[in-house]
Amino acid sequence: MNELQQELFEKQVLSISMGLEYPRTPDIAGSVMTRLRPSTRTRFISRPFGGAQGRRLAWSLTIILVLFSSLMLIPSARAAIIEFIQIGVVRIFGPEPTPVAPPNQEAPSTLTPVTATPGPTLPSLIPLLEDLAGEMNLEEAQQTVNYPILLPSYPSDLGQPDHIFVQEAEGKMAILVWLDAQEPERVMMSLHFIPEGSWAIDKMNPTLVQETSVNGQPAIWTVGPYPVRLHNGDIDFTRLIDGHVLIWAEGTVTYRLETDLSLEEAIRIAESLEPIR
Amino acid sequence: MDEPTLIRHATNGDATAWEPLVLAHQEAVFRLSYLLLGDPDDAEDVAQETFLRAWNHLKRFDPARPLRPWLLSIASNLASNRRRSAGRYLAALTRAFRNEPLSSASVEEKSSQHMQASDLWKAVQSLNVPDQQVVYLRYFLDLSVAETAEVLQVAEGTVKSRLSRALERLRGIIQQDFPVFGDRREEHEGRDA
Repeated sequence: MNELQQELFEKQVLSISMGLEYPRTPDIAGSVMTRLRPSTRTRFISRPFGGAQGRRLAWSLTIILVLFSSLMLIPSARAAIIEFIQIGVVRIFGPEPTPVAPPNQEAPSTLTPVTATPGPTLPSLIPLLEDLAGEMNLEEAQQTVNYPILLPSYPSDLGQPDHIFVQEAEGKMAILVWLDAQEPERVMMSLHFIPEGSWAIDKMNPTLVQETSVNGQPAIWTVGPYPVRLHNGDIDFTRLIDGHVLIWAEGTVTYRLETDLSLEEAIRIAESLEPIR
Repeated sequence: MDEPTLIRHATNGDATAWEPLVLAHQEAVFRLSYLLLGDPDDAEDVAQETFLRAWNHLKRFDPARPLRPWLLSIASNLASNRRRSAGRYLAALTRAFRNEPLSSASVEEKSSQHMQASDLWKAVQSLNVPDQQVVYLRYFLDLSVAETAEVLQVAEGTVKSRLSRALERLRGIIQQDFPVFGDRREEHEGRDA
């Protein structure tokens, strides 16, 4: 880009950015002044989450209560809303699960991405990964958490994860991330270890829910898009997820394997987990 | 009362002098937080925290200096910390997350100008955080190079070189991932020519 082109592009960026619509600025001055008043200061300091987060939680609860109450008036909904599948800390509300036989052992030995349900085109997550806290090596991660970190031995050429994080989420959650060797800007697979008492995760109406098993333990395979609600105490937020996720639990740890691969491949990977050598 | 006088009063513990200063700068602080976080509730939390922290550290601030760059600098740091928090972290690692899609009606309601700006914002979000910061401050918030330098606590020359590199990367992202935006931009160029 020569100087003239850059100058023109800069002018356009400036002009176009002025057209961005922002949410209405809330009454920040009012909230700040309330929090500065001596009579209320102690109360606010003692609360871990005040302001918008508290209000958001209140709204979430209100919406959930209203939705729940309305649905309970409909007999068919009454049965459905009460039923959910729980695997470890993950609860799945939604369609009746379809039983699926465990995969046969003749599955292809190479990783073949699922192409029938391609995800949306999205910006790379690599900048986000690079910006995230808690990255460490495997040895440090194993010393930080009080459960064994397991690595897939299948496929044999998978190798060690490219990123390893340990995050405090009311329990130390370990996350291993493998990047796609062909497209290193893309995450191929991530494996979450979520200890007991950690964040609760609710999935609402996934496109597809299948019952299956991992090492003889009940497991669930979900296909998005669907909203996921993460909550723990006062923290509560919802995001739309569009991915294939295998969830199972063993002992006090819930495992969450997210990948573009098929269910059969995901189960083979899950069943190949073994402690770090 | 002018800004330096209000700041001096506030520094001496007069909260009533702080209120007009918050009112004067709350929009810029909220908007920068929103640009960096993409969520209005998160942005509101960060904006509130910015003014509370600034109030608690006013004694360290030179009242002769403009207040806005200092506030934006605090907001930028707080927003960066929040991006690294556990909750956002889990969401980020889910390889394909996105905001709720807009309904077709709301898409239609958006003017072409707003769509362009929205596309531009999405493209900027693909940049690394330091590049995002400099682009948001200089273009989206329309700060001068000098003000941007003060917020980022770097020399003006550094701002210019960062902007140049960020624009280069942004142009590449737009060409690769936002062809529709590129087409609209070319139309715009054609009209301007």
